[in-house]
Amino acid sequence: MIKFWNKRIKEGISTENPEIDKELQLIRKEMKNLVSKKFAGSLAIRMVDSGSCNACEAECNALSNPYYDLERLGIYFVASPRHADVMLLSGVMTFNMTPHVLDAYKQIPEPKWVITLGGCPVMEAPFEQTFAIKAPAEEHLPITYHIPGCPPEPIEIIKGLLAFLKKI
Amino acid sequence: MRLIARYAKELSNHFEIITVYEDETQKELVSKEDPVIKTLAKKYPAAIWFERKMHDDFGIIIEDAFDKRPLVHQERFPRGVYPLRKIFTQTQLEEAEYLPYKYEAINGDGVFQVAVGPIHAGIIEPGHFQFSQAGEDMLHLEVRHFYKNRAIEKMLEGKTLAEAKPIIERISGNESIAYQICYRDILLQSSKQELPVALKKYHAFLLELERIIHHLTDLGFIPNDAGFGAALAYGSKLAEEARRKMKALTGHRFGFGSIDFEGKAIDVDATKKYLEKLTEDVAFFEDWIMDVPSLWDRFDTTGVLSQQKAIKYNTVGVVARASGLSLDRRCQAFYFENGFELANEVNGDVGTRFKIRLKEVKNSIQLMLNFLEEEESYLELQTTTDGEYQAFVESSIGELFMAIDIKEGVIERFFVRDPSFMNWQAVHIMMKKDIIADFPLINKSCDLSYAGNDL
Repeated sequence: MIKFWNKRIKEGISTENPEIDKELQLIRKEMKNLVSKKFAGSLAIRMVDSGSCNACEAECNALSNPYYDLERLGIYFVASPRHADVMLLSGVMTFNMTPHVLDAYKQIPEPKWVITLGGCPVMEAPFEQTFAIKAPAEEHLPITYHIPGCPPEPIEIIKGLLAFLKKI
Repeated sequence: MRLIARYAKELSNHFEIITVYEDETQKELVSKEDPVIKTLAKKYPAAIWFERKMHDDFGIIIEDAFDKRPLVHQERFPRGVYPLRKIFTQTQLEEAEYLPYKYEAINGDGVFQVAVGPIHAGIIEPGHFQFSQAGEDMLHLEVRHFYKNRAIEKMLEGKTLAEAKPIIERISGNESIAYQICYRDILLQSSKQELPVALKKYHAFLLELERIIHHLTDLGFIPNDAGFGAALAYGSKLAEEARRKMKALTGHRFGFGSIDFEGKAIDVDATKKYLEKLTEDVAFFEDWIMDVPSLWDRFDTTGVLSQQKAIKYNTVGVVARASGLSLDRRCQAFYFENGFELANEVNGDVGTRFKIRLKEVKNSIQLMLNFLEEEESYLELQTTTDGEYQAFVESSIGELFMAIDIKEGVIERFFVRDPSFMNWQAVHIMMKKDIIADFPLINKSCDLSYAGNDL
């Protein structure tokens, strides 16, 4: 442990403030303002995977790494739909998952919004319609905004969330 | 003999049941009118999922199976519908009447059930875990999956080899390169060609980069599940940098579409510099993390999978190597010549699986340095010939097995067995001595894929 503290004193905190590009810096400011104006400072997102390849989930996890650190803008991924404002939906709405997605949506208190993430829920990914796929998601849920990409990169997800905040 | 896979395919009057062992492949024909086979699960417990899946897909009856519950088909799936049969061509299914699934459960005074999922508390894939609890002690766990079943096998039937590629690379995002390399090997077998060494090295380089990204993410997440968040900040920072490297090399953060037959130039100097920095960062991480006693108090002796059980359940990959099995598809001359060392430990607990990942990250960096080539090479793929082909690759999770039948230039039957399919069936063994609060830690230490498992 002593080595850790030595390095820490010499180099500072290595996971804090890594280089951030200018674009992200600007977005962050705008985002923070919008979150505080429209969601009283905290936007709670319930991420639901309805049959993705896990790349969208990996990119959402990346949003909390020191490069993006989404939480400091007041955006949280929450454990329960009952704590959420927004459902972020990835995946192709599989036959087996669709009833659970609809259940989760029901549990989100009003007012609520659904954002689709990546090509899958709008059937723009290379997957084709099979008996096990019930996408597009708009046939089952009211979709407010769509973030395209396969998968969308963290910066694109942030931009998408910003556009969503502007739209509502 | 290690069981690798067991699956069925439809012929004109028969079903062919193919059982792939480490040293041989056995085939058995059963008539379509009366498709009854005997179970292998008495000897190979992991055969049961293969057999239950076979029943759901084709309606093949496993006469003496102890578990005849549906696997892929869930509560609302229409009964008597066997979608992998050629005669089934529907792309829409109506939900049938809800028929409850009978979970494995232990009953008794004070014993209660805890149902977790399919939607979990974090940003992870859906799956269900059913615990039988005596207070905090886990008596039993049933892992129930296939919520993500997209019917990939059916989707790929009738596709040309070029059409299939973008789908195959998206079966499991974390293992995309491994899936692509497996598919590449099948294409090469069917065109009877060899890959130029420089191209082989480039692909192997990307596979190790994918492994590093996956392992670094886990090296952060495993301590995080024991409440040590600082490790996640560090691990996820390194993983992000590795992902950016993947993007710089392939144009995509997950390497989708990157394994083809055209070599690309790698900026050798920049990559070397990056790998040297990563070596330092990983060394620092190891120094730091190995010296946090409260963390190792959680890791050590938690989620033990004994060598005996690891063999019995035919586990593969990181899980198997942490339980004393020398199992790695990279055990071949090409890798050994480039500095591959098999990571091997015996304790089989969370801490051991963590150490295996750390060792593999370090070895992968070494391999990547040796795979770096200035030379660019390409291969013109000749026409493919029809036939039955199989390929293996060591993905970041473990041994990946893919089998494709090509008939008249299109895919007749596609089968893939993700390493997770084997390892998920051994997860319930790891719980026996632990409390339910250890479950996320144990689950994360295996870090298995749901998408690759469910298909």
